[in-house]
Amino acid sequence: MKEYFELQYRMTNRRFKDTGFEPLLAYILLTVGFVGLSIYLFNKTEFAVYVYLLFALTLIGKLSETRRTEFLKICFGDTQLKKIRITENLICSIPFFAFLLYKQLFLFAGLPLALTTILALVNFRTTLNFTIWTPFSKRPFEFTTGFRNTFFLFFVAYALTFIAVSVNNFNLGVFAMLLVFVTTLSYYTKPENEYYVWTYNQSPRQFLLSKIKTAILFSFSLALPIALALSIFFYQNIGLILLFFLVGWAFLTAIIVTKYSAYPDEMNIPQGILLVICLWFPPILLVLIPYLFRKSENQLSSLLK
Amino acid sequence: MISIQNLSKKYGANEVLKNINIEFDKRKVYGIVGENGAGKTTLFRCIADLENYEGKIISNLNPIKNHLGLLLTEPFFFQKITGNEYIQLLCNARNIKVTDIENRNIFDLPLNQYASTYSTGMKKKLALTAILLQGNDFFILDEPFNGVDIQSNIIITEIIHKLKALDKTIIISSHIFSTLSDTCDEIHLLSNGSFIKSVQKANFQALETEMKQTTIGNKIEKLGLR
Repeated sequence: MKEYFELQYRMTNRRFKDTGFEPLLAYILLTVGFVGLSIYLFNKTEFAVYVYLLFALTLIGKLSETRRTEFLKICFGDTQLKKIRITENLICSIPFFAFLLYKQLFLFAGLPLALTTILALVNFRTTLNFTIWTPFSKRPFEFTTGFRNTFFLFFVAYALTFIAVSVNNFNLGVFAMLLVFVTTLSYYTKPENEYYVWTYNQSPRQFLLSKIKTAILFSFSLALPIALALSIFFYQNIGLILLFFLVGWAFLTAIIVTKYSAYPDEMNIPQGILLVICLWFPPILLVLIPYLFRKSENQLSSLLK
Repeated sequence: MISIQNLSKKYGANEVLKNINIEFDKRKVYGIVGENGAGKTTLFRCIADLENYEGKIISNLNPIKNHLGLLLTEPFFFQKITGNEYIQLLCNARNIKVTDIENRNIFDLPLNQYASTYSTGMKKKLALTAILLQGNDFFILDEPFNGVDIQSNIIITEIIHKLKALDKTIIISSHIFSTLSDTCDEIHLLSNGSFIKSVQKANFQALETEMKQTTIGNKIEKLGLR
């Protein structure tokens, strides 16, 4: 078991080195980023603790993937497997636990520890026997696969919108809308296999524009019910709703060009930091998007003619 | 037509392809054989423009990649994408409108299921169906018969014959000699990055016999099986 965690530690360090960071610096930056984002979240919304727990569970839940668990079971056997899974889930939940303690939310602080221990003893089957319907089948793949992985979050967002209207809380409605955009952003974080870029008979520019167009169109269709509800019940804030739409699309565009500017490698930490800085001051996107768009065109020029 | 002139490919100091010269004409099927690591897949990746290389690859249809159906040895599929959506994705990529995918599903694949749940052979058949529906002029089929059931092998052989009749250029690699002798007009033997032999259909039998003798030699005796 000790060797397993040493190996995980070495693999994590290798990934940091691959993205151009010394592991120590990467750990410091991640800690600062985590604390910074946590403070930001808790300052922005009263529902931060729920978002926080949802985020923690989603992140840690990924470790319970069936094929991964099966592989560990083959390597280590039943008893060791449980110990490994509980330990790694606890390690991952420590940052959330620590911050919730700092916020003196003792009951909520205990939840990630308890839930992650339970999560360690179950595994999720990702290969379901039924196919989840998606409205995006005609233009695969980001929104089709992404929707199937995260459809429950849209139900949460629509439910939050209903509550926002019921309790007359516009901020909660905006949060629901942002949840939709943040979810769709996650569809563009991993680089796809080169075959799925190579096969297009488009120039890099046409390829990027069609990706951006699809993202804007499909995210619009997902966020539209929320926007309509908010526009009807909080019509005095219609300008703000439009502004959030524009900011959401700008971030979607930014993440697409960020992804392809690093392609075929994964997005690196400096790019991630740039996007986080844009969260604080979105007008930077006006400079960042054209810059990354040109960089993406260069990166894609070897695969697309 | 694809003309390859003085093609070389290096990975660092390792020269994987050495001064390859060959022409692939339309209405012909070419077989490429060679041991694992001989350079077959690298050659295919160069033709597809997935690799940088020295030398020239010239074609009447440019860029080649936009007219090329590339069947990889192990096609990659996203999690949670159905067979139907995979075909749609590849056709969208080439601006091809397909309305009757179900009707053209000649391998009877469960197109509404996630492709990641398919068996090895089903995945290969799905990938093949998609590049066929793309309406390509060139085809590179890297081990199209591998892992596929006998009935589908028969269908794939007939598809290759049909593609040839439709003036397409087809390049196939296979480790099963009979599949090549059934489909190819020429077979080229690749060894250590160079073509060492090219054989026309009339001499396939002699090539197979020679390959058997060279490959097997007295290796089986060495095992000392009792």
